[in-house]
Amino acid sequence: ALQGQQPLPSQQSGHAQPQQPCLLPLLSAGELAGRGRQRGPPGAAKPEEFQISAGFQEMSLGDRGGRRRDFHDLGVNTRQAIEHVRESKTGSSGIMIRLSTNYFRLTSRPQWALYQYHIDYNPQMEARRLRSALLFQHEELIGRTHAFDGTILFLPKKLGNKVTEVFSRTKNGENVKITITLTNELPPTSPTCLQFYNIIFRRLLKIMNLQQIGRNYYNPSDPISIPNHRLMVWPGFTTSILQYEKSIMLCTDVSHKVLRSETVLDFMCNLYKQVEEQRFRDICTKELIGLIVLTKYNNKTYRVDDIDWDGNPKCTFKKADGSEISYIDYYKMQYNQDIKDLNQPVLVSQPRRRRGSLMPGPAVLIPELCYLTGLTEKMRNDFNMMKDLSVHTRLTPEQRQREVGRLIDYIQKDDSVQRELRDWGLSFDSNLLSFTGRVVQAEKIHQGGRVFDYNPHFADWSKETRGAPLINAKPLDNWLLIYTRRNYDVANALLQNLFKVTPSMGIRMNKAIMIEVDDRTEAYLRVLQQNVTSDTNIVVCLLSSSRKDKYDAIKKYLCTDCPIPSQCVIARTLSKPQSIMAIATKIALQMNCKMGGELWSVEIPLKQLMVVGIDCYHDTVSGKRSIAGFVASLNQGMTRWFSRCVLQDRGQELVDGLKACLQTALRDWFKWNKYLPSRVMVYRDGVGDGQLKTLVNYEVPQLLDCLKSVGKDYNPRLSVIVVKKRVSTRFFAHSGGRPQNPPPGTVVDVEVTRPEWYDFFIVSQAVKSGSVAPTHYNVIYDSSGLKPDHVQRLTYKLCHMYYNWSGVIRVPAPCQYAHKLAFLVGQSIHREPNLSLSDRLYYL
Amino acid sequence: MDKNVQEERFTEVIKFTPPLYKQRYQFIKDLVGKYKPKKVADLGCADCTLLWMLKFCSCIEVLAGLDICENVMKEKMHRLYPLPGDYLQPAERSLTVTLHHGSVAHKDPCMLGFDLITCIELIEHLEESELEKFPEVVFGFMAPAMVVISTPNSEFNPLLPGVTSFRHPDHKFEWNQAEFQSWALNIARCYNYSVEFTGVGPPPMGMEDVGFCTQIGVFVRKYSQTSETAHFEKPTKAAYKTVFKAVYPSLKDEKYLQIAVVSEVVFTAEIIKRSLMDHLNSKHEEYSDGPVEIKSIFQHSKNCVSEDLEKLAVEKYMEPSVSGNVVYIPLTKIFSFPKVNQLCGTFENFCKLITGKVTLSSDGSAMVVDTEEENE
Repeated sequence: ALQGQQPLPSQQSGHAQPQQPCLLPLLSAGELAGRGRQRGPPGAAKPEEFQISAGFQEMSLGDRGGRRRDFHDLGVNTRQAIEHVRESKTGSSGIMIRLSTNYFRLTSRPQWALYQYHIDYNPQMEARRLRSALLFQHEELIGRTHAFDGTILFLPKKLGNKVTEVFSRTKNGENVKITITLTNELPPTSPTCLQFYNIIFRRLLKIMNLQQIGRNYYNPSDPISIPNHRLMVWPGFTTSILQYEKSIMLCTDVSHKVLRSETVLDFMCNLYKQVEEQRFRDICTKELIGLIVLTKYNNKTYRVDDIDWDGNPKCTFKKADGSEISYIDYYKMQYNQDIKDLNQPVLVSQPRRRRGSLMPGPAVLIPELCYLTGLTEKMRNDFNMMKDLSVHTRLTPEQRQREVGRLIDYIQKDDSVQRELRDWGLSFDSNLLSFTGRVVQAEKIHQGGRVFDYNPHFADWSKETRGAPLINAKPLDNWLLIYTRRNYDVANALLQNLFKVTPSMGIRMNKAIMIEVDDRTEAYLRVLQQNVTSDTNIVVCLLSSSRKDKYDAIKKYLCTDCPIPSQCVIARTLSKPQSIMAIATKIALQMNCKMGGELWSVEIPLKQLMVVGIDCYHDTVSGKRSIAGFVASLNQGMTRWFSRCVLQDRGQELVDGLKACLQTALRDWFKWNKYLPSRVMVYRDGVGDGQLKTLVNYEVPQLLDCLKSVGKDYNPRLSVIVVKKRVSTRFFAHSGGRPQNPPPGTVVDVEVTRPEWYDFFIVSQAVKSGSVAPTHYNVIYDSSGLKPDHVQRLTYKLCHMYYNWSGVIRVPAPCQYAHKLAFLVGQSIHREPNLSLSDRLYYL
Repeated sequence: MDKNVQEERFTEVIKFTPPLYKQRYQFIKDLVGKYKPKKVADLGCADCTLLWMLKFCSCIEVLAGLDICENVMKEKMHRLYPLPGDYLQPAERSLTVTLHHGSVAHKDPCMLGFDLITCIELIEHLEESELEKFPEVVFGFMAPAMVVISTPNSEFNPLLPGVTSFRHPDHKFEWNQAEFQSWALNIARCYNYSVEFTGVGPPPMGMEDVGFCTQIGVFVRKYSQTSETAHFEKPTKAAYKTVFKAVYPSLKDEKYLQIAVVSEVVFTAEIIKRSLMDHLNSKHEEYSDGPVEIKSIFQHSKNCVSEDLEKLAVEKYMEPSVSGNVVYIPLTKIFSFPKVNQLCGTFENFCKLITGKVTLSSDGSAMVVDTEEENE
């Protein structure tokens, strides 16, 4: 039998709430990279820089108990090792632009310090609560304002003596000597103080009655309800206080929590009605595993790891005192919750965190008492749902600035919050931080011997380059077009339109071999087996629906068993006559890339440079497998790429696979260029919060090793740049009175960057609605000697090179290619694609 | 027998499972389960553990706590806030939880009209002057239907290891059974209550005379209180400071009721639409000769008089219909769904709640849902 849930208040004498085993942020299924997820013993995960005891560690990220990893990658000082940026890491090119950002300065009184005391008890007292009670019998000495975790006491004032002894009495009449020793006088910028600020700030958020879910705080009293999808959206804030370039600041952004107003049991019942009985368990497992659920009776979240179909609420578990109790009785007794369905299966959640030296057993949850949170992959792919959702969650810069300002307003207006801050001698600026950024010059697009300018504000050149010949057009001499009977007309329409649009691109095209097929997966596969030859340029499949299984089967066959480029098109996208030509144009471009063609280029001034992009995909459904996409440039114009992926199984290190990829990429580069690159620049995406240290200490040395192993005299310069898309930072430009999105090409390398890093932000893309999100780049290793300005410019240039989009994207193209590849493999192929495809962008 | 040996033996015997404080709370929970009070206050609520346990009792609509120490209340008061789940599926009942900072020696009108007031291990912390005022404040002024008072039984103390004088340094006194009972009986007489004595933590076998470790008096008011006597003859000046207030989302609040109803209605409509579309699509596959025309049976005759016809009309009236890109789902059909029905009560109320929140047909009798394919 499974071990029951442990959170019984009786065991937790010292803690307000039982511990919470869930570590995953609710909405970021694809966020965490492999290594960082495994946690070592509690002590090891903690950076040595903090002289804060375990109790405060717990409090620091939300008074909920349990040690958490350092989400802000504090204590990773990479800049000091990069000599040429020690003095300055700022770029210079571009025109100045006035910006504001969602940061607020935290100020403290002049000569402010935080006083840290160590508290000793004689005789020893164990319970934290008792220790507190005994200490605060001396409030006249200590004062109202304090933070105490049982061992360490923080006060805003210095006690008269370095060592103070006082006596307290327990309820048993025992006299206890308490020794209060001043151990530290902390300046406002010390790491301990930073943690302390976050503790205090979270207290404030609680005072303001915001609900903590995961890492953020939400306001549940004004929910946005999206009833047709049974979704509930809570507005809220993400907040963190950190040391930035010049000052300590609070960074806060609007966050939305998607919750579902149905229980897991409701969900199961609805699903049961929709699918055949024998497939129910399978489908249900697939849908639920990996989801985060929220329990009805307390504010905790758990990840569903398994469903125990043989279990039910009548089963019993062993309580801490050794007695057996059934789930029904337990929930009735503990939370007055009546479980109505006695035959429901139970959910199993594996704890993510150790408790002391013990790994607690799995938690067993009752579906009826759990709410679903977040979105499933299926929901994410539901265009209408995402559209409905974005109406509420997408905020214009003006709305966003107003919402962010609202939090600061609350802080300024709430008396208890103000009192708490005043008592500690702290205060927040009431205005958003403003400063000057730069907008670098727009790039020119080179295509087919011509140079194109485009409106930099739209960051899109699809109109400008329409009808221009491509750099390298691959012929369509021998290709298949497969369609079902119902889509015969659509297939012909596609063919006709391809005939119209390909000549100007320079693509030579014969009529396709047209093959009609039954609308079944096996029929498609049979047709492929019978008709694809080694001379086939590409296979185009017209699919009648977006059903994933058919798509997966086709991709799997044509990427592994029979490596031929393929293009799947859902028939309905071609159904509108007014847009079919534009869509045929896009399809023609995409097909050309998949066959190894090249579309456009920008000027890359650096010679002998190989650019690498890495991104990860985490398969949440079928176990813990992670897939890394690895893409490396093969030529000067960055128009040809080498692509491979690494399937990392449990216990394997991702970097071993990456090394192998890099070696093959260098070999391919040599084949193409007859020499090796003198510079390698790695853009590493898919790094979770708190994983930077691993990257610096482990992955970078391995990459260096790998380069060394290529040849004795081969010693290229290496740069490793961590790319982060999910950041809370937002910039607002102020032209024409209202806050607006900063234009594409905006670079920020002051104020909101971190002093210990060689980092910068670029806003490369343009958005049609909502606020644009800058991308954060952190150069963690750099022997290139390149000026920061050049690194920034090159990075921006690379954002122009993604061939599936005639415009600038959020990340350097190799990262986006790597993402696409990893996604395809993780979602559809589940095996390493055939290496003969690795010189083409077959996964686009 | 040697005294030490005797104490040693007791140390082994006197171990309460579950711990005594939990037994006291359980005693109150059982009482609440039995009498189903709507308004409950805990005087001397300390870290609010009892209140936290009581908030799960679905009969309680008002919970209040009072304590002389603001800090101890604040320490854990956050667990009295509604949980995300309470917002996701608001409860039928309403619930307001309030915490006050103040003394039981003072009268404040916020403590009027309660069904149950508990004083768990409170009186022994009161100074003599406070203890004197306590009966008048609790039984005379607050005058709830029921009062529960628990306090240590000093006769039990010799059985407790390590207890020399009082069980806690802050205790001003600890009474034996006779002392407590005479105090309680006197109060009951004075303020027209009946009182019964019980306790938790039974004495060891053969020592029954010692009595329970915690002695409890349960007082029941003998007169019924009319609202006039309850509220109008009392002073209205506030003496306590409110330090916490949480109003739980409830279906009694129109805002949450509307969210719940609209959510259920839209979801129900979605299910009806989907099954209708599935049905149509399967037909479509069978005879794929041109689009299937489904005649709207929405326009029905209102002049039917025959009962049979009437019934037929009602049934037809209940059927959803497709017309062009939209599905019409009669409101009567949606209202017939048990959950919607239960939430709204009446059809009128149902109509009122969804007005302006969902798209209705021009005559307002049906909900209109788009049939546009969902995926892109």
